[in-house]
Amino acid sequence: MAEPLLELNNIAKVFTRASFGVGGRKTVQALDDVTLILPDKPQVFALVGESGSGKTTLSRIVIGLEQPSGGTALYRGRPVRDWVRRHMKQYRREVQVIFQDPYATYNPFYRVDRVLWSVVRNFHLAENKERGKRMIDGALEAMGLRPQEILGRYPHQLSGGERQRIMLARVYLLRPKLLVADEPVSMLDASLRAMFLDHLQAFKDLGVSCLYITHDLNVGYFIADQILILCLGRTVEWGESDHIVKDPLHPYTQELISSIPNPNPEKKWTERLQAEKIGLNELRQARTAAGCIYAQRCPRVMDKCRHNNPPLKRVKGHEGDSREVACFLYE
Amino acid sequence: MESLLEVKGLNVSVRTIAGNMNITDNVSFGVYEKEILGIAGESGCGKSTVVETVLNLIVAPRYIESGQVLLKGRDLLTLSPRDLQNVRWKEVAYVPQGSMNTLNPVLKIEEQIVDAIICHSKLSKAQAKEAAVAALRSVGMSPDVARMYPHELSGGMRQRVCIGLSTALKPAVILADEPVTALDVVMQRLNLETLARLRDQDGITVVMVTHDMACHAEICDRVCVMYAGRVAEIGETRTLFAEPLHPYTQGLLRAVPSIQNRHSESIPGIAPSPTAWPKGCRFHPRCKQAMEICSREVPPLREIRPKRLVACHLYNAEGGARNG
Amino acid sequence: MSSSDRPRVRTGGIFTIARLLRESPILVVGITIFGLLVLVAIFEPVINNALLHGNRSTELGLYDVHMPSSREHFFGTDERGRDVLALQFTGLRNSLLVGMLAGAMSLGISVILATVAGYVGGRTETVITAITNSWLIIPSWPVIAILVLYVAKVSLLDLALVLAAFGWPSATRVMTAQIASLKSRPYVDLAKLNGFRSASIMFREVLPNFLPYIVLSFSYAVAYNIMAETGLRVIGLGPQTVVSLGELINFSLYAGTLAQGYYLVALCPIVMLVLIFASLNFINLGMEEVYNPRLKKITGL
Repeated sequence: MAEPLLELNNIAKVFTRASFGVGGRKTVQALDDVTLILPDKPQVFALVGESGSGKTTLSRIVIGLEQPSGGTALYRGRPVRDWVRRHMKQYRREVQVIFQDPYATYNPFYRVDRVLWSVVRNFHLAENKERGKRMIDGALEAMGLRPQEILGRYPHQLSGGERQRIMLARVYLLRPKLLVADEPVSMLDASLRAMFLDHLQAFKDLGVSCLYITHDLNVGYFIADQILILCLGRTVEWGESDHIVKDPLHPYTQELISSIPNPNPEKKWTERLQAEKIGLNELRQARTAAGCIYAQRCPRVMDKCRHNNPPLKRVKGHEGDSREVACFLYE
Repeated sequence: MESLLEVKGLNVSVRTIAGNMNITDNVSFGVYEKEILGIAGESGCGKSTVVETVLNLIVAPRYIESGQVLLKGRDLLTLSPRDLQNVRWKEVAYVPQGSMNTLNPVLKIEEQIVDAIICHSKLSKAQAKEAAVAALRSVGMSPDVARMYPHELSGGMRQRVCIGLSTALKPAVILADEPVTALDVVMQRLNLETLARLRDQDGITVVMVTHDMACHAEICDRVCVMYAGRVAEIGETRTLFAEPLHPYTQGLLRAVPSIQNRHSESIPGIAPSPTAWPKGCRFHPRCKQAMEICSREVPPLREIRPKRLVACHLYNAEGGARNG
Repeated sequence: MSSSDRPRVRTGGIFTIARLLRESPILVVGITIFGLLVLVAIFEPVINNALLHGNRSTELGLYDVHMPSSREHFFGTDERGRDVLALQFTGLRNSLLVGMLAGAMSLGISVILATVAGYVGGRTETVITAITNSWLIIPSWPVIAILVLYVAKVSLLDLALVLAAFGWPSATRVMTAQIASLKSRPYVDLAKLNGFRSASIMFREVLPNFLPYIVLSFSYAVAYNIMAETGLRVIGLGPQTVVSLGELINFSLYAGTLAQGYYLVALCPIVMLVLIFASLNFINLGMEEVYNPRLKKITGL
């Protein structure tokens, strides 16, 4: 079997905030024992979680901008740390990112051309200037943009949709093996999202795998082959996206799915959420060592759940579909 | 039915280096009591500007060219600053976009709500404190939250605090600009339900601006769809979603990817910018059903069916095809 | 209609200047006034050459002392036999020189320290910030006063150096915070993902966005240093061989020009100082108008 593209094993990340005053040091366990394996075959893997779930931290570990406090992060068999230290140029060639904010990813001082030319030059994608210009034009056109309307302009002169598509063109030029997309459509209007996501899926045919990070399960389902759900730093459930969405097992996944607004006015939410329970969780008291991470909010919580952390394992009756759930309901 | 709040022929423009440009063109709609009206549209369509105009929050380089905003018959745009101060927060409250990030980080929640109350009413500090706690309760938050600092709460909870803040003086109308956009899906649901509860239990009218059509479907009674500074269609949510009449509304509803509908397609082309509005109907360059007249004349907003207004030549006598 | 119909805003060179003019008249007024003052200062040798028929304004004992106003000496002469009118121009030149030299030097220190502290962060930043804050506590005026009193010969450059040595901390603190914030922008992350190294990122990504703030800080620093130098002079400190506007005010105070009715002589240096500070303030206000979109009365596209 080919070695997996990306292998994150038991990743843990702790942030400490030193304070000289009352209270001393504050530690936050952003990630706790997260395992994620991206096989070699190009696919889209969605990492779904609310804010505070640690998904952005995990993405930064994959890119090499953060180091894990525990566990190993391997890209094509070699630790990410190794790549960054000794083979940085090649790592940057093979692993790239699209960020969430189409406004902030551009340096307002320069024209947008720079974003594209800097990859052409830095990674020696073209032998000469003409070839480089043709590549850039081709990449923009492949993303549905017209080069004469885009090149030569400053970021503030273009719309958010155009800016994100230029970022896509940048990825198209590079053809990385792994693309980490951190909420790339959340700041785009709904009408632009579908088109952006289509391009992202088309990248699969170009051999680009995508780790798609989002809080929107809707979008995750739309684009991903596999989904992993994170809750406050722990894996709750993962498997093929069809299974997860059509047949969610973990109560947290069920809550997420039922909370998605339905664009059909005939089918509205039937029950009101229990506001008080959610309030408690938001106060981050749930991140305690013992017990299931979702215990305080779970509508089907059992006594066992408050004292023990359910392990992530395959579920009886679902052994065929490669999926795992961390919940005592399925023991 | 008499409308509680009515926007009539609103024209807002902006002064730029290249001349004055139009942001909203002849925008008119009415809001009734005890309903939630959603204003939908892509970014840049002018929906936020319309809401800001209601409380006359337009400052240079933008300016109001013409139009009226009638609250129970009184034109808010002609009020003196002092009279307007009495309307703001007491009769019409405003929750701006991203307001969860504008809470003062060094003051407790309670102090901020009390500040706002004292500023806009004649209540004493003790009375204001009680009103603050009541405001938090009305959005389903426990009084403990009052003694916390903003950074101790998550984004979703801060947004609920802001909504609570807006109910403090029991206004008749709350204007909410993108109240749930930056929130996680569970927090989003919570905040939307909060707004719905304000309508159901306290009889408050809400005008909610958002580009997310699914949110409109969940809690709005009626929806007003805007495009490029003009109103395209207004109608009751159920019928509008079931049978959208304006081609833009049709495109918008088709473009929403969802779990229920895995297939979606985006509207071709790019939204125009104020520097180059198309002539006639501003949607015609992207419209699959465009006719010759669409590039010449601006379609008027007409009541094609009971309780449904559409601005499209397809439904005019000259246009032909369909008819009410 | 597509974005090809969007009017292209021509950028660069003359168009940027034309845009600046429309966006902020106050900036233009400020630059004009300050520019004129600088021009006069640059041409001071030429002016005084013509005025004094080839002699230098600061040469002692050229003319009779304490002469009242006359056709030859419009402002009279001082107790050292120097033509007072010629001294006005010299004073303007020296004040501006001191301000700009001291401003440039203290800004140089601030930018270097802030860049290192802001970008490297961590312990380096803590150490630099600690030094900066401690330096602020040193009472600058008494120390400068002592230095000036006890050092025999103080030149203009020395004066500028001393002022810069005490003026650098305040700008440094703000700049460090600014750079730390700029460093965390996503476009810096993107540059890291292109494989660029830290130093290159600092210069190419962060510093260009920092330039407007540097210009703003410079004009503040110039104003502050001229004020400081003038303040020293007016209370009698400062080398009397280097004539600045403050020194001229000092002279007119003890020579009793006002009492004797020589209003023009007394007002001249004051008016010039007012013009300097006003124009610098206009420049600051104008720059804020240009860069802060909320203060704008007319927008770019």
